[in-house]
Amino acid sequence: MFGLNKIIPVEPNINFLGLRRNFLIFSILAIFSSISLLSIKGLNLGIDFKGGTLIEVNTKNTSIGELREILSSSYSDVSLQEFGNENIILIRLQNKSNQESIETVNSVKNLIQDKVVEFRRSEFVGPTISSELLFRGFQAVSFALIAILIYIWLRFEWQFGFGAVVALTHDVLFTLGLLSILNVEFSLATIAAILTIAGYSINDTVVIFDRVRENLRKYKKLDLVDLFNLSVNNTLSRTIMTSLTTLLALVSLFIFGGEVIRPFALTMIIGVVIGTYSSVFIAVPTLLIFKFRPQDEDD
Amino acid sequence: MKNYPIWKSFTVISLVLLGIIFAIPSIIYDENSENWFLKNKINLGLDLQGGSYLLLEVQLDVLYKEELDNFVDSIRLISRDEAVKIEKIDIQENEVLVFFANKDKIKDIRDNFFQMYRGVSLQISNNRLSIKLNDEYKKIIQDSAIKQSLEIVRKRIDESGTKEPLIQRSGKKRILLQLPGVKDPERIKDLLGKTAKLTFHIVDNENTSALQNNLAPFGKIIVPDIYDENTKYLLDKRAVVGGENLVDAKGSFDQTEGHAVSFRFDTEGAQKFGKVTTNNIGKNLAVVLDGVVITAPRISSAITGGSGIITGNFNAQEASDLAVLLRAGALPAPLEIVEERSVGAGLGADSIAAGQIAAIIGMVLVCIFMILIYGTFGALANVSLIVNLFIIISLLGTIGATLTLPGIAGIVLTIGMAVDANVLIFERIKEESLKQTKVFQIVKNGFDRAMSTILDANITTLIAAVLLFAFGSGPIRGFSITLSLGVIASMFTALMLTNFLVYMYLSFANKKELKL
Repeated sequence: MFGLNKIIPVEPNINFLGLRRNFLIFSILAIFSSISLLSIKGLNLGIDFKGGTLIEVNTKNTSIGELREILSSSYSDVSLQEFGNENIILIRLQNKSNQESIETVNSVKNLIQDKVVEFRRSEFVGPTISSELLFRGFQAVSFALIAILIYIWLRFEWQFGFGAVVALTHDVLFTLGLLSILNVEFSLATIAAILTIAGYSINDTVVIFDRVRENLRKYKKLDLVDLFNLSVNNTLSRTIMTSLTTLLALVSLFIFGGEVIRPFALTMIIGVVIGTYSSVFIAVPTLLIFKFRPQDEDD
Repeated sequence: MKNYPIWKSFTVISLVLLGIIFAIPSIIYDENSENWFLKNKINLGLDLQGGSYLLLEVQLDVLYKEELDNFVDSIRLISRDEAVKIEKIDIQENEVLVFFANKDKIKDIRDNFFQMYRGVSLQISNNRLSIKLNDEYKKIIQDSAIKQSLEIVRKRIDESGTKEPLIQRSGKKRILLQLPGVKDPERIKDLLGKTAKLTFHIVDNENTSALQNNLAPFGKIIVPDIYDENTKYLLDKRAVVGGENLVDAKGSFDQTEGHAVSFRFDTEGAQKFGKVTTNNIGKNLAVVLDGVVITAPRISSAITGGSGIITGNFNAQEASDLAVLLRAGALPAPLEIVEERSVGAGLGADSIAAGQIAAIIGMVLVCIFMILIYGTFGALANVSLIVNLFIIISLLGTIGATLTLPGIAGIVLTIGMAVDANVLIFERIKEESLKQTKVFQIVKNGFDRAMSTILDANITTLIAAVLLFAFGSGPIRGFSITLSLGVIASMFTALMLTNFLVYMYLSFANKKELKL
C-alpha cells in the first residue's frame, strides 16, 4: 500500500472537490438566472446587430441636453450618451430603411454643425446586414464549441470533451447573463470576446485535464475524487498565475485602452474570471459522472 | 554550456534577431518611405488611420422589373406584327401573364419571343402566355450587373481623387469599398447614389390630353422636371441617343447660363444626334438623367458637331460631379448603401495612442508580477515576452496584415496570455525540483513534461481564433490575426527562447541547486 504522503508529490492540498455540490448549485442557479435574464431582459444590442445609425461627435460650448433638444425635435427615436468625457457625445438613431440613413446622417450633421468641433465617426448598419451579422456571430460561436469538442475528443477520451463543453457552455451563458445585468453593449467585438473566452477557458481546462490524464496513469489505486483534487492542486499555481497575468493585461486595456474598446475588455475580464472558476469547479467534477477505473485496470 | 547543441542556439538567436529587425519598419513607421525594407510595415486599418468603409448592394429587383417591362414591350410588338389583339397584360413579381383575344397564333408569338430572349421560361395555357423570369436568367442578369457596377464604381471613385481605394465584390450582389483617409464620405455617397443614366428624348408637345390624364400612350413616357415635380413632359420612350455614346464630359462655365456640363459624343452618337436634330427643328429635346428632365431646350438648328452643353441650375461642384458621373457611365441598377463605417483621423489617432499606453502598462505590470513570483526565471520569461511582442509586430508587417483597434486589443491580451507557456514550464520545473537534484535534468524534464500541455492548450485557442477569422468581418479579423500570431509566437518564445535563456543562465551562473 502506498502512503498518501508519498503519492501526493506537491503541496498545496486543498479539497476543491469537497465543495463541488455548493458550487454546482451556485452555477445551476447562475445559469438559470442568466437564461431567464436573456429571455426577459435580453442583451443591449448595439447597431451591429440591431441596425441603425451611430454618430460620435466632439462638441464645444454645448451640453448633452441642448443637443438632445435640437435633435429630438426632428427625430423621435434618438438617444444621446456621453462617451469618455463630457465633450464627446454618442448619438444613436434608429432608421427604418437603408435609404433613410444617408439622409439621416446628413441632416443630423446639418442640425448640429455649429456645436461640433469634429465628427469622430459615423456608422450605419442596415437591417439586412445586422441580421446577417447576428447569424454569423452565432454560427462562429457554435462552430467553435463543436471544433473544440472534436479536438478534445481526439486528444483525450470523449468524457473529457464532454466535461470541457459543459464548462464552456456554462462560461458563455454565465458571461452573457452578466452582460445583460450590466447592460454592456453587445457588438461584433463582444462576439470576438466570447470566442476568446471560449479559447481561454478551454485552455485552462485542458491544462488541468492533461494533469488528470497523467495522474490516472500514474496513480492507479488512488480514489478518483482524491486524484482529481490532486490534479487541481498540482496545476493550481499555474491556473492562478495565468489568470492574474491575463487579468493584469485586460485591466490595463479596460482603463487605458479607450472608450471604444472598453466593453470588449470588460467582457473579457468577466469571462476570464468565470472561465477560471469553471475549469476547477465545473469541468473537473463533471468527470466524476464517468467511471474511468475499469478501463484503466483492463490494460 | 552543457547539453545545448550549437545548431539550436544558432537557430534561436537568428530567429530572435530576425524578429527584432523586421519589427523596425513598423516601429519607425515612415508613411511615405519608398525604401524596400521600410515598406514592410504594418498596414493600419480604417478604424486607426481614418477613412470610410461602405457596403453597397445592387438593387437587382429594379433590373428584374425593367426586364419584365422589356418583355411587355417586345410582346406588344410581336403581337402587332402577327395581328393578334392582346386583351390583358398582368405583371407579377417574376412573371408576365399575357391574355390574347384568340389562341390561333399564340405558338408563333411564343417562338418569336423565344428568339429574342433565350433562357426565359414560356408556358401556354389556352389563350394565356406566361413569361417567367427563372433563376438561371436572373443569375445572368445579376452577374453582368455586378460586373458592370464594379467597373463603374471603380471609375467614379478614381475620378473623385481618392487615394488607394479598395473596391471588391462581396457575396452575390454586394460591393465592398474601403476608402482610406476619406474625410467626407457624404460626397462619395452622393457620387455612388446616382445611377447616372443619361438619355436624350424628343418632347411631344402635341398630345396634351395624355399629360392631363397622366397616362402615356404606347411608345411614350411621362417624366417629371428635376426642379418641380408637378411640371411633366411627354417624351418619346425611345431615346435618341444615350450616355453610352459619350466620350467626354467636363464641368464648364457659360456666360449666360452659368455652370454647365459640356459633353462630346463618339462618331455613332454624333451621327444619331445630328440626324435627329436635323429632322426635328422646332421641337424640344429633353435631357433625362435618372428619370427626371434636367432641361428641355428647343432645337433651333441642327447640331452636327457631336458636342453640346447641358445647363441647369448647377453650382460648380454639382456641374463637375455630374461630369464625373457622365464620364464614368451609368450604373446598370441603383446601388443602396447597406453598411457604412466612417472614422475620422482624430479618433483613429486617439485609439492608437490609447492602445499603445494600454499595451505598455499591461506589459510593465505583467513583467513586475513575473519577477515578483519567479525571480530570475521571471526576468528570463520577460525577455521572452518582449521578444514575443517584436515577433508579432514583425510578422504583422511582413505578411502585410492590417492592424485594427480590436487587433491592438488582441496584442494586449496576448501579453497577458503569452506568459502562460512560461508559467507552465516553471511550475513543472518546480515540481521536478522536488523529485531530484541534478539541475540540468530538472530543467530538461520540466520543459519536456510541459510541452504537450502547452501544445494542447494553445491549439484550442488557435481553433477559436481561426473560426473568428472565418466568420468575422473587417476589424474583428484583425483581432483574430493578432491573437493567432501571438499564440504561435508565444509557443516559440517559451519552448525555444526561454529554454535557451534558462540553459544559458544556469551554465553561466554555475548553479548547483535550483529553487523557484
